[in-house]
Amino acid sequence: MSNAVEQSPPTEESEVLVEVEGLKKYYGGDGMFADPPVKAVDGVSFEIKRGETVGLVGESGCGKSTLGRTMLALENATEGSIRYDGTDITTLSGKDLKEWRKNAQMVFQDPESSLNDRMTVGEIIREPLDAHDWKTMNDRRERVLDLLSAVGLPDKHYFRYPHQFSGGQRQRIGIARALALEPDFLVLDEPVSALDVSVQAKIISLLEDLQEEFNLTYLLIAHDLSVVRYISDRVAVMYLGKIMEMGEAEELFADASNPYTQSLLSAIPEPDPTKTSRRITLSGTPPSPSDAPAGCNLSTRCPAKIKPESYADLDEDLWEGIEQFREVVRERARIALSTGDRVRRRFDRFDRFDDIEESRADTFDGIEVPERVDEEIQTAVKMVKRGRPTEAQEHLYEEFASVCDDEQPEMYEVSASGRYSYCHRHADEYEDVDPVLTRRADSD
Amino acid sequence: MSDRHSTESIREELTHRDNLSLTARIAENPEPFVWWAVPMFVLLAVEFATWGGILVGMLDALVIGVTGLIDIVVGFVSPGLAQIVTDFQAGVVGMLRSVGGTLGELPTLFSREVIPNQGHQTPNGAWQGTFLGLQPAVAWALRFSLIMAYALFTAYWAFRGWLVYRDHYRESDWTPTDDIVNNLRGHRWGQFGIIVLVVFLTMATFGSALAPSTVSQNIQSPYSDESQIQYLTEEGTVETVFAGDANFDSKSKGAVDTNVGVMTYDDYGRFHPFGTLPNGRDLFTFMMGGARITMIVSGMAITGAAVVAMTLSMLSAYYSGSLDLGILTVADGVVSVPQLLLLIMMSAVFANTWLGAVLDGGFLLALIFAFTTWPFLWRAVRGPALQVAQEDWVRAAESYGQRPRNIMQKHMLPYVLGYLLVYASMSVGGIIISLSALSFLGNGLGISPPTPAWGRAISAGQSYVSSPSWHISLIPGLMIVLLVTGMNALGDGIRDAIDPEVETGDGEEAAAGGGA
Ligand code: SF4
Repeated sequence: MSNAVEQSPPTEESEVLVEVEGLKKYYGGDGMFADPPVKAVDGVSFEIKRGETVGLVGESGCGKSTLGRTMLALENATEGSIRYDGTDITTLSGKDLKEWRKNAQMVFQDPESSLNDRMTVGEIIREPLDAHDWKTMNDRRERVLDLLSAVGLPDKHYFRYPHQFSGGQRQRIGIARALALEPDFLVLDEPVSALDVSVQAKIISLLEDLQEEFNLTYLLIAHDLSVVRYISDRVAVMYLGKIMEMGEAEELFADASNPYTQSLLSAIPEPDPTKTSRRITLSGTPPSPSDAPAGCNLSTRCPAKIKPESYADLDEDLWEGIEQFREVVRERARIALSTGDRVRRRFDRFDRFDDIEESRADTFDGIEVPERVDEEIQTAVKMVKRGRPTEAQEHLYEEFASVCDDEQPEMYEVSASGRYSYCHRHADEYEDVDPVLTRRADSD
Repeated sequence: MSDRHSTESIREELTHRDNLSLTARIAENPEPFVWWAVPMFVLLAVEFATWGGILVGMLDALVIGVTGLIDIVVGFVSPGLAQIVTDFQAGVVGMLRSVGGTLGELPTLFSREVIPNQGHQTPNGAWQGTFLGLQPAVAWALRFSLIMAYALFTAYWAFRGWLVYRDHYRESDWTPTDDIVNNLRGHRWGQFGIIVLVVFLTMATFGSALAPSTVSQNIQSPYSDESQIQYLTEEGTVETVFAGDANFDSKSKGAVDTNVGVMTYDDYGRFHPFGTLPNGRDLFTFMMGGARITMIVSGMAITGAAVVAMTLSMLSAYYSGSLDLGILTVADGVVSVPQLLLLIMMSAVFANTWLGAVLDGGFLLALIFAFTTWPFLWRAVRGPALQVAQEDWVRAAESYGQRPRNIMQKHMLPYVLGYLLVYASMSVGGIIISLSALSFLGNGLGISPPTPAWGRAISAGQSYVSSPSWHISLIPGLMIVLLVTGMNALGDGIRDAIDPEVETGDGEEAAAGGGA
């Protein structure tokens, strides 16, 4: 195999291969009566340099897979551009697009679903070559055998069917297929998460070897942070369609700036027992991507959220309580009411939400609530009880909204290595994230 | 067999041969192929005229049907062009018919000439004219059994061909098809369905040789010179009579003295396995003719419907969205048209056109049934098609720029085909029943007389159901039930065979080491 690979000349460190700018991918939402669009990817910009591995992490549903697929032109971008080696691929179509596809391939998460069971391994790996009429039939078969040995499978597997292989072997076949057209760029969509732990390490090291051998550039999508940390040069953290923080992998893992990244990292057990690790939890659940907050994406759950000016002197616990209570009300507002409930609400007979009283009591248990705050809370409670949680939500918003609720933050450069974070707290007029989190952790 | 390829030779085989063609592999190891091919050749050769006739007949119908449709379309644009099409049609059909005629004159092994069952008794009680002087019933039973045995064996031998290929010439040790075939091999109910299908196809193919009487004596020209038969009178003399006259005296009309029942002889020494019809004609011969038209029409209808359903299900699953919605709307529209109304209208409109005449009206019926059946098949396979369209291998194929057409063909269709077969064999029963129902109703519906149709026999025997002539309605009814049940059994069998729940797990054992 090795003799077939030419050693490519050393590339410039800074050479950018992929450049994503203002990329948005919305689903639905067109038409007059359609529901609001699902904003799977909502304006992200970043670069990937030639030969590097960028990890893309986030909870499931944060839009990382959609971002990966959009970058391969498997989805049409709603807005923004993706420049690949200078070409904006969002404008390509037809022959040009097909030709471009040679450059970028994908390795899929589920090896069960990514290989067509009715074709032999040879046919599967050869198909990209067939689709592009690559050289002669004999050359293609030879290339398939080369690829098989490159991913560590013997020649005799050529005539076997995927059904006859284990998950790890199937993933190797998928990788061989992705490499068939000699791409420069691979999107690895959770390439090992469906595999046994013992097999994961082998596939990871195979991917590393191949990267070196073929000078590949990877976008690694994963939710397993240890895998990402192990293999990535840089990491992007995604939440609700936005990149919250992006920078050098080691630095980001050691010293995250963004509240979201910090909470994500605090969930992995600290390997070094001498370091005291504080657990930062996000309250509530992520809102649906069709109902993202107007300001910062994290504003409904942020542990470091900025207080509104008029309440700047509020006690931390009370502020947290208010935020929690707002989340409770938001959850009520998400519940769709039945027709019966609507009729009852109409005649003031509505009682389904009467337990809001209890929630309030729980939330502010042992916290001193000043009268002016309590008044607002009580108004909201009454609204919820009457079956109008949306009104209550708006009322609370008007009273307690801060810059986090209202304005989208900018990307602030937070480190000399070029790390960026998406948070108002990096602006000069606000206290930075770390002291706030420390104070809150201490007060618990 | 697992190590046909040694590891070193694979690369050589794959890259230093122009093509890994099947012929090359056979040339390397011809023995198993020869052992299979020579018997297969003999099997086909002894009935060459029959097989050839079937082929020519199908081509004939196809040419007429297709050129006819083109003719109509072109006719709108330019009558001159339409004339060219018509001329072309006439030329090709004429050629095909002459080939068919030549074929018809070739001898076949299991023909009524080789094993005749029609003869007459001589005054001393011996039979003359029958095979080896056997009784007509025995001679007929012999020919019937031989043909059935031949057909079943030929079907089996064709399957053997696949086994030989699998064991000796296929490059893969195992394919997913193996599992399906193995599952089917252990499925008695499904095998019953296959046998029923083969038996009815045999009736359709070998009908004229299977029947005790000929179509010409029975239906077409019972008063022609060739349709004269000899028989032994009660006075002990051998007389000659037209088949038509003999038929006239062999009616089954419900009374004890005017009835020729199941497995009996009539007064002219003719054996009737299924008895006679109210007009004195042989019911078995009639049934064989009916089998042919039933199998052709229902086969064409279900194939047409399946092809349409398959194509549309691929398109609607791959493109989904508004295309899917559009097809859904059309399908709902088609379903909402009452089938019977459509059949009556179409039959009336096309009654006297060439289209109504192709296959004695069968072609038109097949078109209508295909038209009314595809929405059901489409709905049945749309689900599986949508599901397979979601698989990652479809995304993968898109990611390296495979053409949509190839994606549908290679990555989606194989997964839907099984379901399509299942639903098609289950739906064909409905077509068979509707077809018989139309002939039962008569009045210009269904297959035009005198071409035999099962429904017409049922209708003819309707008033004799509780009389000694019960066989006239009952036997065709039972045949329909048997065929429909058989097709359902086949569908069940295929469904169980492709159902991953019953996988044998052999594939796991075959999994080989190497890699992760
Ligand atoms: S902008 Fe506000 S809500 Fe968003 S992460 Fe920063 S502090 Fe939290």
